[in-house]
Amino acid sequence: MQDSAKKSYLNGKNIILEDEGKKSRFNFDLILPIAVFLLAGFGVLIIYSATKYSMPDGVADPMYYFKRQGYWLIGAIVVFVLLQFINYRALARFWWVFLSFSIIMLIAVLIFGYEVNNSRSWLDLKFFNAQPSELAKILMVMVIATILSKWPREKVERVGFKKVAFSLLAASATIILVLLEPDYGTALIFFMTYMGMLFISGANLLYFFGILAVTVGGFFAAIQSGLIKQYQLDRILVFLKPDIERQGIGYNLFQSKLAVGSGGLWGKGLFLGKQTNMSYVPEHHTDFIFSVIGEEIGFFGAVLVIIVIAVIIWRCFYVAANAGNSFGKLIAGGIGFIILTQSVINIGMTIGIMPVIGIPLPFLSYGGSNLLAIFLGVALVENVYMRRELRTNYEIAYDDFD
Amino acid sequence: MAGLMVRLYFLQVMSGEIYAQEAQESILRSKSVPAPRGNIYDRNGKLLVKSIPMPAVAVDPRIVLENEEVIDILCSKLGLFKSDLYNKLNKSNITYLERVILKQNIDYGTLIYFKENSSKLPGVEIVDIFLREYEYGGLAAHILGYTGEIDEEKLKSSQYSVGYEGGDQIGLSGIEAVYEQVLKGNKGKVTYEVDPIGKPKSIIEEIPYTPGNDMYLTIDIDLQKEVEEILASSIFEIRQQKVPDSDENYKVPGGAVVVLDAKSCEILSMASYPTYDPSIFTGGISSYDWAFLNDPKNEFPLNNRAVMGYPPGSVFKLVTAYSGLAEEVVNKGRYITCRGIWTGLGDDYPKWCWAKSGHGAMNIISAIQNSCDIYFYEVGYELFAKNNNSEELLQKYAGLFGFGSITGVDLPYEDPGVVPDKEWKKEYFKEQKDNTVWFPGDTVNMAIGQGDLLTTPLQMAEAYSILVNRGLKNTPHLGLEVRGEEGEVIAKLGENKPPDLDLNFDYMELIEQGMEKVVSQGTAAGRFLGFPLKEIPVAGKTGTAEVIGKQDYGWFVTYAPIGNPQYIIVVMLEQSGGGSRSAAPIAEKIYEYLFDLGDE
Repeated sequence: MQDSAKKSYLNGKNIILEDEGKKSRFNFDLILPIAVFLLAGFGVLIIYSATKYSMPDGVADPMYYFKRQGYWLIGAIVVFVLLQFINYRALARFWWVFLSFSIIMLIAVLIFGYEVNNSRSWLDLKFFNAQPSELAKILMVMVIATILSKWPREKVERVGFKKVAFSLLAASATIILVLLEPDYGTALIFFMTYMGMLFISGANLLYFFGILAVTVGGFFAAIQSGLIKQYQLDRILVFLKPDIERQGIGYNLFQSKLAVGSGGLWGKGLFLGKQTNMSYVPEHHTDFIFSVIGEEIGFFGAVLVIIVIAVIIWRCFYVAANAGNSFGKLIAGGIGFIILTQSVINIGMTIGIMPVIGIPLPFLSYGGSNLLAIFLGVALVENVYMRRELRTNYEIAYDDFD
Repeated sequence: MAGLMVRLYFLQVMSGEIYAQEAQESILRSKSVPAPRGNIYDRNGKLLVKSIPMPAVAVDPRIVLENEEVIDILCSKLGLFKSDLYNKLNKSNITYLERVILKQNIDYGTLIYFKENSSKLPGVEIVDIFLREYEYGGLAAHILGYTGEIDEEKLKSSQYSVGYEGGDQIGLSGIEAVYEQVLKGNKGKVTYEVDPIGKPKSIIEEIPYTPGNDMYLTIDIDLQKEVEEILASSIFEIRQQKVPDSDENYKVPGGAVVVLDAKSCEILSMASYPTYDPSIFTGGISSYDWAFLNDPKNEFPLNNRAVMGYPPGSVFKLVTAYSGLAEEVVNKGRYITCRGIWTGLGDDYPKWCWAKSGHGAMNIISAIQNSCDIYFYEVGYELFAKNNNSEELLQKYAGLFGFGSITGVDLPYEDPGVVPDKEWKKEYFKEQKDNTVWFPGDTVNMAIGQGDLLTTPLQMAEAYSILVNRGLKNTPHLGLEVRGEEGEVIAKLGENKPPDLDLNFDYMELIEQGMEKVVSQGTAAGRFLGFPLKEIPVAGKTGTAEVIGKQDYGWFVTYAPIGNPQYIIVVMLEQSGGGSRSAAPIAEKIYEYLFDLGDE
């Protein structure tokens, strides 16, 4: 062991050569899994509360959603644990598999998928229904992280034009497919995650701002040209004038605000949220799950939930900062961005400060695909942390020459 | 993230209570449970009117109007026209009408349909409402009155501001209207939670209703039956008779009878002809029936003629006689000679007695007995001469006997009548400048109950009750007792001590002597030929009021037995000819029933 240890020339940290040290140390990050399991466990409880009076047609069991989400959570935890036995680095070489799989899935959903809320984003896989874009989100993080850190190899400039161009190409392909469903909310998350990863990748910031400027410009051009209709825009921007449209598109928002607001300081008590339990808030077990939280456990509970989410995000970025290599950093950062953007937009939408776009709240919203996907994501982050001191020769070469 | 927390703080902590309240309101609904209306009984405890529960279809217009499918089902199941339904619901498109009764008394099949399909019909409910059932059919209709659905105007008024809502049955006339607060009871209330489509989920609170209290009336329903039958059959008889010296029959479009307990002024019976059946109002009156009741051809059966003003004619001479005696214009010993014509206002303005040949020398007793107009012209004229600026004497005594103001009977729409005086005439004839002055002739006319004088049969009964009770002024009334659910007496009505008008007993004795002779040998004697006047001495006064352009109105006021009076009867018939011929026989028949004289 002793001789396999080496000090990094660059930052003076202990490093372990991968070849010799198959023995990844048991230096888990405990905070991340504890926070994640707690939050997801609490999510299952809240889903029970939200759905105990509203089962799907033909189902009499009030625990229907509770059980299903519970099984998914158990599965997700198993996946989380199993994934720790693989070195995440090994996944890098499969980036093209991930990319093609994502694209095939997203095309499949366009052809075979069925619509929920006007967007064709669900696949019927006999045993369960899946939302491919959820998995594609995590896979895209892997693909972008690989491209920005490893492929194509460049020597002098770590993240040069080629990498940015290829990553943008890969990201655009998936984003466009998601837009075609059309699922603007998920597309927005994809885009923001990609931009976040580009930002921390070390690429010249001119690329970052260039892409941002072109995208925003394109968005306004799309409105101008009528590609995005005014009513679609109104739908998104209803949060700016919710009181005008209480019964129209603003209904969800109004009911959600009513539910959250009525929770007050301490809430009405777990399982006792009347607005949400009685289905006054639509989608209250999926996209609007936070309104149940706000109503039932009040300001203190809601803030506690936000703090736990913040802790998870913090751990992701902490892992990113200490990943020891660019690939790991980008993976952890990418997952962190997914959780950050999704949480802020989702919670913001339930309390009326963000546009109402249908995206789930990570760890808490009902749904197997998104729970499994986000668990895959944080499992990767944990994996990156566990192996933060491992280096490949290639990496050491880069580190030390840099 | 911090932004989210700040926003949450504003939403939940700063304005949490407002949201909580609004949220609560958006979940809770409450509906009232109607209380059965109190029953109405007669003085002997016989049930007259009761409440029966009846299923009705009620809708919340705010919910139903947004659901075309429900509207279609309602129309087809209840047999309504779509346009009518929309009209009815849109008319009530105001927040306080949360419930509109679409149809009452639905059949069993329809009831089952609505109960079984309630989940498909948001905003529609089957409610039990209470409707009236009349044990004696149309008897005493004018006293009992009818009930009906409250309208928007009433809902807005302060009288109905508490405890009423759209679809409620309220008393609209008679006892039902006057004792609405006694009879209505208090509604129950069920508060429950609803889901977003308005389907009830669970009951939060249930307040039971309190049934309305029962009313016991002063009327005797058996007597009422007798009186109404006598009145109606007599009117039919009179209609067969011809007006003297013409080919015309008497029209007798209507009439009224009041029977009072002489001492307490409890109304034992009050009949008005023509009458109606209050049950046609149950469950909403049909437009055909309503048109019938309001067609002038049918003489307005809804009107209670016992409390409407009519020219009294000679029955008013009670007031003139007492005024003359009290103001010492005449006394027992003074005789006025009747030659059939009176020229007190000058030869250019002669006035005649009803008996054109004249009565000869008349004193107060014989003048009443024969209803001599000449005597009372003179009394009226001399009273006018004694008037001073501040006081018109005949009017003063008319007011004393209760004319010109309502009696205060517990019935709605009571007419105060008219006692014309200087001020009244100035106001009433202000369009005709030369007729605004009060002439002596006006007082002279009024002295025999003519002119612009209008009195109601009930006022007349009250005025004679003052004579009967020697100056005590009772208020005639219909309410006897209010009783609770267990039959316990909650309130006794009409037991106030009557005010004493401090009248002169001797004068009243004189008038009574005159009235006794009216029956025994005077204007009404022919009608009481077979009556045992020895055992049951009867006092009476006939009246015949002339109305320009119409046949004479007949009156008869009577009480018996003299000495210990039990009953006061007033009979008034429109366009029936002289009171002695038309009205007096009715009173005689009622006496036969009251004193159980049978058919001998």
